Amino acid sequence: MARLGELEREVMDLLWESPTPLTGREVLDRLTPRRDLAYTTVTTILDRLARKDVVVRERSGRAFTYAPTLGRDELTVTLLNEVLASAGDDRTAALVHFAETASDDDARALREALARIEAREP
Amino acid sequence: MTTPLLLGLIGLALAQPVPALLARMDWPYRAPRAAIALWQALALAAILAVVGAGLSASLWLVVHEGVPNPDPAAWRVALHVAFFALTVVVVVRLTWSLLSVAVEVRAARRRHRAMVDLVGARDAARRSVRILDANEPLAYCVPGLDARVVVSRGALDSLSPEELDAVLAHESAHLRARHDLVVDTFTALHRAFPRALRSDAALVSTRVLVELLADDHARRRTGTTPLARALVKLGSRPAPAGALGATSTLVRRIDRLESTTADDGLRHGAIEGAACYVLAAVVVLGPTFTLAVPWISSAWTTLS
Repeated sequence: MARLGELEREVMDLLWESPTPLTGREVLDRLTPRRDLAYTTVTTILDRLARKDVVVRERSGRAFTYAPTLGRDELTVTLLNEVLASAGDDRTAALVHFAETASDDDARALREALARIEAREP
Repeated sequence: MTTPLLLGLIGLALAQPVPALLARMDWPYRAPRAAIALWQALALAAILAVVGAGLSASLWLVVHEGVPNPDPAAWRVALHVAFFALTVVVVVRLTWSLLSVAVEVRAARRRHRAMVDLVGARDAARRSVRILDANEPLAYCVPGLDARVVVSRGALDSLSPEELDAVLAHESAHLRARHDLVVDTFTALHRAFPRALRSDAALVSTRVLVELLADDHARRRTGTTPLARALVKLGSRPAPAGALGATSTLVRRIDRLESTTADDGLRHGAIEGAACYVLAAVVVLGPTFTLAVPWISSAWTTLS
Protein backbone atom coordinates (compact mmCIF):
# COMPACT_ATOMS: atom_id res chain seq x y z
CA MET A 1 0.00 0.00 0.00
CA ALA A 2 2.79 2.40 0.89
CA ARG A 3 4.29 1.79 -2.55
CA LEU A 4 1.00 2.47 -4.31
CA GLY A 5 0.57 5.68 -2.33
CA GLU A 6 4.04 6.76 -3.32
CA LEU A 7 3.32 6.04 -6.99
CA GLU A 8 0.02 7.90 -6.85
CA ARG A 9 1.88 10.93 -5.62
CA GLU A 10 4.48 10.70 -8.36
CA VAL A 11 1.87 10.29 -11.07
CA MET A 12 -0.13 13.18 -9.65
CA ASP A 13 2.99 15.36 -9.65
CA LEU A 14 3.56 14.51 -13.32
CA LEU A 15 -0.02 15.40 -14.22
CA TRP A 16 0.22 18.65 -12.30
CA GLU A 17 3.46 19.59 -14.03
CA SER A 18 2.18 18.76 -17.51
CA PRO A 19 0.43 21.58 -19.37
CA THR A 20 -1.71 19.07 -21.30
CA PRO A 21 -3.51 15.87 -20.33
CA LEU A 22 -1.32 12.76 -20.54
CA THR A 23 -2.02 9.25 -21.77
CA GLY A 24 -1.08 6.23 -19.68
CA ARG A 25 1.79 5.58 -22.08
CA GLU A 26 3.12 9.12 -21.64
CA VAL A 27 2.94 8.81 -17.88
CA LEU A 28 4.85 5.53 -18.08
CA ASP A 29 7.54 7.07 -20.30
CA ARG A 30 8.05 9.93 -17.89
CA LEU A 31 8.28 7.61 -14.92
CA THR A 32 10.57 5.06 -16.59
CA PRO A 33 13.87 6.88 -16.16
CA ARG A 34 13.19 6.79 -12.42
CA ARG A 35 11.73 3.33 -12.00
CA ASP A 36 10.94 0.13 -13.81
CA LEU A 37 7.15 -0.19 -14.10
CA ALA A 38 4.65 -2.18 -16.09
CA TYR A 39 2.09 -0.30 -18.19
CA THR A 40 -0.73 -2.00 -16.29
CA THR A 41 0.65 -0.65 -13.02
CA VAL A 42 0.42 2.86 -14.41
CA THR A 43 -3.17 2.37 -15.59
CA THR A 44 -4.06 0.91 -12.19
CA ILE A 45 -2.66 4.01 -10.51
CA LEU A 46 -4.53 6.30 -12.91
CA ASP A 47 -7.76 4.41 -12.29
CA ARG A 48 -7.31 4.73 -8.55
CA LEU A 49 -6.76 8.46 -8.91
CA ALA A 50 -9.85 8.73 -11.12
CA ARG A 51 -11.90 6.89 -8.51
CA LYS A 52 -10.75 9.42 -5.93
CA ASP A 53 -12.04 12.15 -8.26
CA VAL A 54 -8.70 13.91 -8.38
CA VAL A 55 -8.15 12.94 -12.03
CA VAL A 56 -10.52 13.03 -15.01
CA ARG A 57 -10.28 10.49 -17.80
CA GLU A 58 -11.18 11.45 -21.34
CA ARG A 59 -11.15 9.55 -24.59
CA SER A 60 -8.82 11.07 -27.13
CA GLY A 61 -8.71 9.08 -30.37
CA ARG A 62 -7.85 5.52 -29.46
CA ALA A 63 -6.33 6.22 -26.08
CA PHE A 64 -7.49 7.71 -22.78
CA THR A 65 -5.93 10.87 -21.48
CA TYR A 66 -5.78 11.89 -17.85
CA ALA A 67 -5.78 15.36 -16.33
CA PRO A 68 -6.01 16.60 -12.74
CA THR A 69 -9.48 17.85 -11.77
CA LEU A 70 -7.92 20.56 -9.63
CA GLY A 71 -4.48 22.12 -9.62
CA ARG A 72 -2.22 21.39 -6.69
CA ASP A 73 -2.92 24.79 -5.11
CA GLU A 74 -6.65 24.50 -5.69
CA LEU A 75 -6.71 21.08 -4.06
CA THR A 76 -4.79 22.48 -1.08
CA VAL A 77 -7.31 25.30 -0.77
CA THR A 78 -10.21 22.84 -0.97
CA LEU A 79 -8.67 20.79 1.82
CA LEU A 80 -7.95 23.87 3.87
CA ASN A 81 -11.55 25.06 3.60
CA GLU A 82 -12.75 21.66 4.73
CA VAL A 83 -10.38 21.79 7.71
CA LEU A 84 -11.34 25.35 8.69
CA ALA A 85 -15.05 24.61 8.35
CA SER A 86 -14.71 21.60 10.64
CA ALA A 87 -12.95 23.73 13.27
CA GLY A 88 -16.03 25.90 13.69
CA ASP A 89 -18.66 23.19 13.65
CA ASP A 90 -17.80 20.32 15.92
CA ARG A 91 -20.81 18.19 15.06
CA THR A 92 -19.07 16.25 12.30
CA ALA A 93 -15.82 15.12 13.79
CA ALA A 94 -14.10 13.50 10.85
CA LEU A 95 -11.03 15.58 11.73
CA VAL A 96 -9.75 16.21 15.23
CA HIS A 97 -8.15 19.59 15.74
CA PHE A 98 -5.31 20.24 18.12
CA ALA A 99 -6.95 23.50 19.14
CA GLU A 100 -10.29 24.90 18.10
CA THR A 101 -10.66 28.59 17.42
CA ALA A 102 -10.93 30.89 20.42
CA SER A 103 -13.09 33.92 21.07
CA ASP A 104 -11.29 37.14 22.06
CA ASP A 105 -12.08 36.54 25.73
CA ASP A 106 -10.80 32.98 25.58
CA ALA A 107 -7.66 34.06 23.77
CA ARG A 108 -6.96 36.59 26.53
CA ALA A 109 -7.62 33.98 29.25
CA LEU A 110 -5.25 31.60 27.46
CA ARG A 111 -2.44 34.15 27.29
CA GLU A 112 -2.84 35.07 30.96
CA ALA A 113 -2.80 31.44 32.06
CA LEU A 114 0.27 30.83 29.89
CA ALA A 115 2.08 33.70 31.59
CA ARG A 116 1.37 32.14 35.00
CA ILE A 117 2.51 28.70 33.81
CA GLU A 118 5.71 30.14 32.39
CA ALA A 119 6.39 31.95 35.67
CA ARG A 120 5.93 28.68 37.56
CA GLU A 121 7.88 26.41 35.21
CA PRO A 122 10.65 28.42 33.56
CA MET B 1 -46.94 -1.58 36.85
CA THR B 2 -44.13 -0.16 38.96
CA THR B 3 -41.27 -1.72 36.97
CA PRO B 4 -42.11 -0.14 33.58
CA LEU B 5 -42.92 3.17 35.24
CA LEU B 6 -39.70 3.32 37.26
CA LEU B 7 -37.56 2.19 34.35
CA GLY B 8 -39.27 4.76 32.12
CA LEU B 9 -38.58 7.53 34.60
CA ILE B 10 -34.97 6.44 35.00
CA GLY B 11 -34.58 6.35 31.21
CA LEU B 12 -36.02 9.85 30.85
CA ALA B 13 -33.86 11.18 33.67
CA LEU B 14 -30.72 9.66 32.19
CA ALA B 15 -31.56 10.98 28.73
CA GLN B 16 -31.69 14.64 29.64
CA PRO B 17 -31.70 16.12 33.16
CA VAL B 18 -28.90 13.99 34.58
CA PRO B 19 -26.47 14.66 31.71
CA ALA B 20 -27.33 18.37 31.80
CA LEU B 21 -26.60 18.44 35.54
CA LEU B 22 -23.36 16.51 35.23
CA ALA B 23 -22.14 18.72 32.39
CA ARG B 24 -22.52 21.78 34.59
CA MET B 25 -20.23 20.35 37.26
CA ASP B 26 -16.52 21.02 37.25
CA TRP B 27 -15.25 18.18 39.40
CA PRO B 28 -15.48 15.36 36.78
CA TYR B 29 -12.99 17.28 34.62
CA ARG B 30 -10.37 16.68 37.29
CA ALA B 31 -10.49 12.94 36.51
CA PRO B 32 -10.94 12.75 32.74
CA ARG B 33 -10.52 9.02 32.28
CA ALA B 34 -13.03 8.16 35.01
CA ALA B 35 -15.40 10.86 33.77
CA ILE B 36 -15.45 9.30 30.30
CA ALA B 37 -16.33 5.96 31.91
CA LEU B 38 -19.14 7.69 33.80
CA TRP B 39 -20.56 9.21 30.61
CA GLN B 40 -20.41 5.82 28.92
CA ALA B 41 -22.16 4.23 31.90
CA LEU B 42 -24.90 6.88 31.81
CA ALA B 43 -25.48 6.22 28.12
CA LEU B 44 -25.58 2.47 28.61
CA ALA B 45 -27.91 2.79 31.61
CA ALA B 46 -30.25 5.11 29.67
CA ILE B 47 -30.51 2.64 26.79
CA LEU B 48 -31.06 -0.33 29.11
CA ALA B 49 -33.71 1.56 31.07
CA VAL B 50 -35.63 2.66 27.97
CA VAL B 51 -35.56 -0.80 26.43
CA GLY B 52 -36.48 -2.38 29.78
CA ALA B 53 -39.36 0.05 30.25
CA GLY B 54 -40.73 -0.73 26.79
CA LEU B 55 -40.55 -4.49 27.19
CA SER B 56 -41.91 -4.56 30.73
CA ALA B 57 -44.79 -2.21 29.85
CA SER B 58 -45.59 -4.33 26.85
CA LEU B 59 -45.72 -7.49 28.91
CA TRP B 60 -47.53 -5.93 31.89
CA LEU B 61 -50.47 -5.04 29.62
CA VAL B 62 -51.30 -8.65 28.81
CA VAL B 63 -50.48 -10.26 32.15
CA HIS B 64 -52.90 -10.56 35.02
CA GLU B 65 -51.70 -11.56 38.49
CA GLY B 66 -48.61 -13.35 37.27
CA VAL B 67 -50.22 -15.37 34.48
CA PRO B 68 -50.90 -14.41 30.87
CA ASN B 69 -54.38 -12.96 30.62
CA PRO B 70 -56.39 -15.50 28.58
CA ASP B 71 -58.84 -12.90 27.28
CA PRO B 72 -57.24 -9.43 27.38
CA ALA B 73 -59.19 -6.33 26.38
CA ALA B 74 -58.60 -5.09 22.85
CA TRP B 75 -57.01 -1.84 24.01
CA ARG B 76 -54.54 -3.83 26.12
CA VAL B 77 -53.51 -5.90 23.14
CA ALA B 78 -53.17 -2.80 20.98
CA LEU B 79 -51.00 -1.05 23.57
CA HIS B 80 -49.02 -4.22 24.13
CA VAL B 81 -48.14 -4.32 20.43
CA ALA B 82 -47.48 -0.58 20.36
CA PHE B 83 -45.03 -0.69 23.27
CA PHE B 84 -43.26 -3.67 21.83
CA ALA B 85 -42.99 -2.00 18.41
CA LEU B 86 -41.71 1.19 20.02
CA THR B 87 -38.97 -0.74 21.79
CA VAL B 88 -37.93 -2.39 18.56
CA VAL B 89 -37.87 1.04 16.87
CA VAL B 90 -35.58 2.37 19.60
CA VAL B 91 -33.14 -0.51 19.20
CA VAL B 92 -33.17 -0.32 15.41
CA ARG B 93 -32.72 3.41 15.47
CA LEU B 94 -29.72 3.18 17.80
CA THR B 95 -28.09 0.47 15.73
CA TRP B 96 -28.76 2.36 12.53
CA SER B 97 -27.31 5.54 13.97
CA LEU B 98 -24.14 3.79 15.16
CA LEU B 99 -23.63 2.18 11.76
CA SER B 100 -24.37 5.27 9.71
CA VAL B 101 -22.07 7.48 11.77
CA ALA B 102 -19.31 4.89 11.47
CA VAL B 103 -19.73 4.65 7.69
CA GLU B 104 -20.06 8.39 7.17
CA VAL B 105 -17.12 9.37 9.32
CA ARG B 106 -14.90 6.67 7.90
CA ALA B 107 -15.66 7.72 4.33
CA ALA B 108 -14.95 11.37 5.11
CA ARG B 109 -11.68 10.44 6.79
CA ARG B 110 -10.58 8.17 3.98
CA ARG B 111 -11.29 10.84 1.39
CA HIS B 112 -9.51 13.52 3.38
CA ARG B 113 -6.52 11.26 3.96
CA ALA B 114 -6.25 10.50 0.25
CA MET B 115 -6.16 14.22 -0.59
CA VAL B 116 -3.67 15.00 2.15
CA ASP B 117 -1.41 12.22 0.92
CA LEU B 118 -1.44 13.72 -2.58
CA VAL B 119 -0.73 17.35 -1.71
CA GLY B 120 0.94 17.06 1.69
CA ALA B 121 4.71 17.05 1.96
CA ARG B 122 6.28 14.25 3.95
CA ASP B 123 8.27 14.64 7.09
CA ALA B 124 11.54 12.74 6.91
CA ALA B 125 11.56 11.79 10.58
CA ARG B 126 7.87 11.08 11.18
CA ARG B 127 6.10 8.68 8.86
CA SER B 128 2.50 9.58 9.57
CA VAL B 129 2.97 13.35 9.49
CA ARG B 130 1.92 15.40 6.46
CA ILE B 131 2.72 19.04 5.91
CA LEU B 132 0.10 21.19 4.24
CA ASP B 133 1.26 24.23 2.31
CA ALA B 134 -0.88 26.86 4.06
CA ASN B 135 -0.13 29.97 6.07
CA GLU B 136 -2.96 29.41 8.52
CA PRO B 137 -1.45 27.84 11.68
CA LEU B 138 -3.20 24.46 11.88
CA ALA B 139 -2.64 21.04 13.38
CA TYR B 140 -5.12 18.20 13.31
CA CYS B 141 -5.32 14.48 12.93
CA VAL B 142 -7.29 12.18 10.66
CA PRO B 143 -8.09 9.21 12.91
CA GLY B 144 -8.48 5.64 11.73
CA LEU B 145 -6.41 2.53 11.27
CA ASP B 146 -4.14 4.34 8.80
CA ALA B 147 -4.10 7.66 10.62
CA ARG B 148 -2.41 10.92 9.69
CA VAL B 149 -1.28 13.93 11.62
CA VAL B 150 -1.41 17.07 9.51
CA VAL B 151 0.47 20.25 10.28
CA SER B 152 0.38 23.38 8.17
CA ARG B 153 3.45 25.28 7.03
CA GLY B 154 2.14 28.20 9.10
CA ALA B 155 2.08 26.07 12.25
CA LEU B 156 5.61 24.77 11.59
CA ASP B 157 6.86 28.33 11.20
CA SER B 158 5.30 29.55 14.43
CA LEU B 159 6.06 26.58 16.72
CA SER B 160 9.40 25.85 18.35
CA PRO B 161 10.67 22.24 18.09
CA GLU B 162 9.51 21.49 21.66
CA GLU B 163 6.09 22.97 20.97
CA LEU B 164 5.77 20.90 17.80
CA ASP B 165 6.71 17.81 19.80
CA ALA B 166 3.96 18.64 22.28
CA VAL B 167 1.40 18.99 19.47
CA LEU B 168 2.46 15.72 17.87
CA ALA B 169 2.45 13.90 21.22
CA HIS B 170 -1.08 15.20 21.84
CA GLU B 171 -2.29 14.02 18.43
CA SER B 172 -0.60 10.63 18.69
CA ALA B 173 -2.24 10.13 22.10
CA HIS B 174 -5.63 10.65 20.42
CA LEU B 175 -4.76 8.22 17.67
CA ARG B 176 -3.25 5.52 19.83
CA ALA B 177 -6.06 5.52 22.40
CA ARG B 178 -8.67 5.68 19.59
CA HIS B 179 -10.45 8.62 21.20
CA ASP B 180 -12.29 8.96 17.91
CA LEU B 181 -14.24 5.77 18.68
CA VAL B 182 -15.39 7.19 22.02
CA VAL B 183 -16.51 10.46 20.46
CA ASP B 184 -18.07 8.81 17.40
CA THR B 185 -20.20 6.61 19.66
CA PHE B 186 -21.55 9.66 21.48
CA THR B 187 -22.17 11.38 18.16
CA ALA B 188 -24.25 8.38 17.09
CA LEU B 189 -26.20 8.29 20.38
CA HIS B 190 -26.85 12.00 20.10
CA ARG B 191 -28.28 11.57 16.62
CA ALA B 192 -30.37 8.56 17.60
CA PHE B 193 -32.36 10.43 20.24
CA PRO B 194 -35.44 12.36 19.15
CA ARG B 195 -34.69 16.07 19.05
CA ALA B 196 -37.01 16.91 21.95
CA LEU B 197 -35.45 14.37 24.29
CA ARG B 198 -31.79 14.70 23.63
CA SER B 199 -29.10 16.81 25.18
CA ASP B 200 -25.68 17.37 23.70
CA ALA B 201 -24.12 17.33 27.18
CA ALA B 202 -22.54 13.89 26.83
CA LEU B 203 -21.10 14.62 23.40
CA VAL B 204 -19.74 18.04 24.35
CA SER B 205 -18.27 16.80 27.63
CA THR B 206 -16.55 13.72 26.22
CA ARG B 207 -15.00 15.84 23.49
CA VAL B 208 -13.42 18.01 26.18
CA LEU B 209 -12.41 15.02 28.29
CA VAL B 210 -10.49 13.27 25.50
CA GLU B 211 -8.61 16.54 24.89
CA LEU B 212 -7.63 16.64 28.57
CA LEU B 213 -6.39 13.04 28.35
CA ALA B 214 -4.31 13.79 25.26
CA ASP B 215 -2.89 16.88 26.96
CA ASP B 216 -1.93 14.83 30.02
CA HIS B 217 -0.07 12.48 27.76
CA ALA B 218 1.69 15.22 25.81
CA ARG B 219 2.87 17.14 28.87
CA ARG B 220 4.39 14.01 30.40
CA ARG B 221 6.50 13.79 27.27
CA THR B 222 7.43 17.43 26.74
CA GLY B 223 6.59 19.28 29.93
CA THR B 224 3.75 21.72 30.48
CA THR B 225 5.13 24.96 29.10
CA PRO B 226 5.68 23.89 25.46
CA LEU B 227 2.15 22.45 25.35
CA ALA B 228 0.63 25.59 26.86
CA ARG B 229 2.53 27.77 24.38
CA ALA B 230 1.37 25.62 21.48
CA LEU B 231 -2.22 25.91 22.70
CA VAL B 232 -1.98 29.69 22.77
CA LYS B 233 -0.34 29.86 19.35
CA LEU B 234 -2.71 27.49 17.56
CA GLY B 235 -5.82 28.40 19.53
CA SER B 236 -5.69 32.14 19.08
CA ARG B 237 -7.22 32.25 15.64
CA PRO B 238 -10.46 34.19 15.97
CA ALA B 239 -13.51 31.98 16.35
CA PRO B 240 -16.16 32.09 13.65
CA ALA B 241 -19.41 33.62 14.88
CA GLY B 242 -21.77 31.22 16.61
CA ALA B 243 -19.10 28.81 17.75
CA LEU B 244 -19.16 29.83 21.38
CA GLY B 245 -19.86 27.49 24.25
CA ALA B 246 -20.21 28.02 28.00
CA THR B 247 -16.67 27.24 29.14
CA SER B 248 -14.66 26.60 26.04
CA THR B 249 -12.55 23.50 25.65
CA LEU B 250 -9.42 25.61 25.35
CA VAL B 251 -10.03 27.33 28.67
CA ARG B 252 -10.66 24.00 30.42
CA ARG B 253 -7.46 22.64 28.92
CA ILE B 254 -5.25 25.51 29.99
CA ASP B 255 -6.90 25.50 33.44
CA ARG B 256 -5.85 21.90 33.85
CA LEU B 257 -2.31 22.72 32.69
CA GLU B 258 -2.18 25.50 35.24
CA SER B 259 -3.77 23.76 38.21
CA THR B 260 -1.85 20.47 37.93
CA THR B 261 1.70 19.50 37.12
CA ALA B 262 2.92 17.06 34.48
CA ASP B 263 3.67 14.30 36.97
CA ASP B 264 0.70 14.73 39.28
CA GLY B 265 -0.37 11.35 37.97
CA LEU B 266 -3.01 9.55 39.96
CA ARG B 267 -2.87 11.70 43.05
CA HIS B 268 -4.66 14.57 41.39
CA GLY B 269 -8.35 13.91 41.03
CA ALA B 270 -8.20 10.57 42.84
CA ILE B 271 -11.36 11.32 44.83
CA GLU B 272 -13.18 12.68 41.80
CA GLY B 273 -12.12 9.62 39.84
CA ALA B 274 -13.36 7.25 42.52
CA ALA B 275 -16.66 9.16 42.67
CA CYS B 276 -17.07 8.78 38.89
CA TYR B 277 -16.46 5.04 38.99
CA VAL B 278 -18.85 4.57 41.93
CA LEU B 279 -21.56 6.58 40.16
CA ALA B 280 -20.93 4.66 36.95
CA ALA B 281 -21.41 1.36 38.77
CA VAL B 282 -24.52 2.65 40.54
CA VAL B 283 -26.31 3.86 37.40
CA VAL B 284 -25.66 0.65 35.49
CA LEU B 285 -25.94 -1.96 38.24
CA GLY B 286 -28.56 -0.23 40.42
CA PRO B 287 -31.56 -0.42 38.07
CA THR B 288 -30.31 -3.74 36.69
CA PHE B 289 -30.40 -5.54 40.04
CA THR B 290 -33.30 -3.75 41.71
CA LEU B 291 -35.64 -3.64 38.70
CA ALA B 292 -34.47 -5.52 35.63
CA VAL B 293 -33.36 -8.80 37.17
CA PRO B 294 -36.51 -9.29 39.34
CA TRP B 295 -38.65 -8.35 36.35
CA ILE B 296 -36.83 -10.73 34.01
CA SER B 297 -37.19 -13.63 36.47
CA SER B 298 -40.91 -12.95 37.00
CA ALA B 299 -41.42 -12.50 33.24
CA TRP B 300 -39.64 -15.80 32.71
CA THR B 301 -41.97 -17.67 35.07
CA THR B 302 -44.99 -15.96 33.51
CA LEU B 303 -44.04 -16.89 29.99
CA SER B 304 -42.82 -20.42 30.65
